[in-house]
Amino acid sequence: MTMDRTISNFIRALRNADVRVSTAETLDALGAVELVGYRDKAYLKRSLATVLPKTVDEKDTFNACFDQFFDFQDVRGEQSDSELNGEQSEEQDAEDSESGDGEGGSSSGEEPKGKKKKSKSKAKKNNLYEEEEEADLGPGEVTNPKSSLGQLLMANDRVELSMAMGAAGEEINVRDIKIFTQKGLYSRRIMDAMGLPDLNREIGDLRTSPHVPARRLGQQLKARRDFLREQVRDYVEKQFLLNADVTGKRLREELLRKVKLSNVEHRNFRLIQEIVYKMAKKLSALHSRRKKIFKRGALNVPRTLRHNMSYDGAIFDLHWKSVKVDRPKVFAICDVSGSVANYARFMLMFLYSLDEVMPKVRSFAFSSDLAEVTELFNRNKIEDAIAKTLRDYGGGSTDYGQALLDFKKNCLDDVDNRTTIIILGDARNNHGEAHAEVLKEIYDRSKRVIWLNPEAKLAWNTGDSEMRKYGAYSHQVEECNSLMHLERVVGNLLKQIA
Amino acid sequence: MGDIEKIAASVASLQESFEAHNYICSEQIATAVFLAYQLRKPILIEGPPGVGKTELAKTAAEMFALPLIRLQCYEGLDESKAIYEWKYGKQLLYTQVLKEALDEVLQGAKGFTESVKRLHEFGDIFFSEEFLEPRPLLKALKEENGCVLLIDEIDKADNEFESLLLEILSDYQVSIPEIGTVKAIAEPPMVFLTSNNTREISDALKRRCLHLYIPFPDSDIEQRIVAARIPEVPPALRRQLVEFIHELRTLDLKKQPAISETIDWARTLVLLHAEALDPKLVTDTLNVILKFQEDIENVTSEVNSITARITK
Repeated sequence: MTMDRTISNFIRALRNADVRVSTAETLDALGAVELVGYRDKAYLKRSLATVLPKTVDEKDTFNACFDQFFDFQDVRGEQSDSELNGEQSEEQDAEDSESGDGEGGSSSGEEPKGKKKKSKSKAKKNNLYEEEEEADLGPGEVTNPKSSLGQLLMANDRVELSMAMGAAGEEINVRDIKIFTQKGLYSRRIMDAMGLPDLNREIGDLRTSPHVPARRLGQQLKARRDFLREQVRDYVEKQFLLNADVTGKRLREELLRKVKLSNVEHRNFRLIQEIVYKMAKKLSALHSRRKKIFKRGALNVPRTLRHNMSYDGAIFDLHWKSVKVDRPKVFAICDVSGSVANYARFMLMFLYSLDEVMPKVRSFAFSSDLAEVTELFNRNKIEDAIAKTLRDYGGGSTDYGQALLDFKKNCLDDVDNRTTIIILGDARNNHGEAHAEVLKEIYDRSKRVIWLNPEAKLAWNTGDSEMRKYGAYSHQVEECNSLMHLERVVGNLLKQIA
Repeated sequence: MGDIEKIAASVASLQESFEAHNYICSEQIATAVFLAYQLRKPILIEGPPGVGKTELAKTAAEMFALPLIRLQCYEGLDESKAIYEWKYGKQLLYTQVLKEALDEVLQGAKGFTESVKRLHEFGDIFFSEEFLEPRPLLKALKEENGCVLLIDEIDKADNEFESLLLEILSDYQVSIPEIGTVKAIAEPPMVFLTSNNTREISDALKRRCLHLYIPFPDSDIEQRIVAARIPEVPPALRRQLVEFIHELRTLDLKKQPAISETIDWARTLVLLHAEALDPKLVTDTLNVILKFQEDIENVTSEVNSITARITK
């Protein structure tokens, strides 16, 4: 039973780390654990690694989680009983023994020899990050602490201490912890709830006290407070592992969907990419059903009968059901000049993430001159291709007229009535020649022309924006500056294509 | 049967047995096979091409002395190629041949209704097992002593095909509308699926399988693989060539050399009676390990420095 709880806790931690684990997989994991047992940790890890994570990424997350989780279990489960008690008194011990031979610290009880040794090294380590100016006060009497937390610390009762920690945790609702950045905050709140301010004040007073036993108490309290801080941090860490759910991430994703793409910070690119991929997958799933019914292997009865009539009704020439779908084409023309580059980045990412359901996409980039970048995307990974596109064609001032002329010259012949053309740009032409007549030509030949403008509708047609001219020759004009817009536009596009 | 159980009794015995069949595997791989056998679950194997995914299934079949049934996936693969198909030709032939017999059967029948009724008495002769052509998946279920079923490169098949597999993977059975459900006779097949990750496999499929990722092996294991496959390679050369390959894998190449390339290279070097790597030898044989002219050109300039680093 307890075993099962360990696994289900672990799975909870995994789920929090965004590894998808289904109920069926939980059962598999239990089956595997039954076979393998808990004794050999590496073996257990290898076994669970085949059962729980199902992609390479998830395997990495799994490894990290496993190490963290089961390491934790060790400390808590096996050592901790003696640990806290031991360590605390050991600290004192160490202080004592360092300061010469001991009459024995007044508060530390009698310790078994073996433990003392271990404790000494530990305390030494502790002392390392103690401030250097710690005066050596020697062994001797210490006064009794006044604050309640101080008393608790000096009483050295582990059970009571962890109970107090738990109670403080409940009091401040540590279970509500959502985001890892909150760990520090919650640790602090727990400490406060346990009476840290009083303790700090007391330590401050004691350390300036002229009375030696009082200063000694101050030192000891300080060491124990630092130790307690570690404990609380561990406690919060575990609560975070168990209780934080993905809402934190979801919250961020939700925000990123709505934020203007030009404002996305560089560090969020990865997350955005994930979101784009997720959205693309959703759209793929929605639309893949409509794909071809080709080579189904079903007999086309009417056709077979008709064709075999001439053989006196003896059926040998078989005909099968097949529906061929003409592959519609999508041309994406992206303005990659400074102002619009970020939008272009995400739209290209979106289009190419959809390759399962999206028919052939040809893409073009321009700031003044237009160039086809389809090859670049076929050869490289999406991110690399986008980076290269922006590097090679980005920058420079926009010239929509020139871009349209280039498009006409190079590939107007490929545009036919199955072609959908998506143009992404703010239509700010720097007062150059708009060449809207070229767009009209494209408009007449193609199935649809969709103009996506990242600027808010209010800003269209102001200044050097030629949106009115171009809008006249587009079947559809949309404002598009967040992932949500993108998703809607591409979703509609897929519907029309099918 | 007893043999299989003995071999699959523990990870160590599996690993040993694989080794005896010239397949050097990491503990992770052996653990996965162990769990797959014990939990009666299919394994989905992913990894770069040429790390021995298919080989694992083949060796397992050999090791367990089970027949290997292989289904190679490709775009457009459907149930008629993977599970079963009706023998249309035979059905048609029989109808023609039985035409006369049909006349006899129908003799004396009054009116259309009665004729149809009489025909019904013969049942669905034409849709019985006689006319069923089993394809790999159905064949695998019908093997009496169990078998190893290898579904190779599942990522090449269409999405819909994955859904077709779900029933067989979780319950070891297939449903044929005209006949009913066909279950595995005695021992369910051991199923290995391989994928090169050209597209994401659906969650439903993954959920039903154990997942094993085989990366490129570390230098130690790869040396043992070379030693097992081509024992004639002198140890010093073996170390050098494996390390050279490992260096190559850190470069940005169009196609990284896999284990199969390492083995080919080792074989080549043995044929050339090489004792140690030197830049000229490497440059001359680079086309064994690199499959793109672009890669060869990129690496040629590095050959000197890499060789120097390794042979020092």
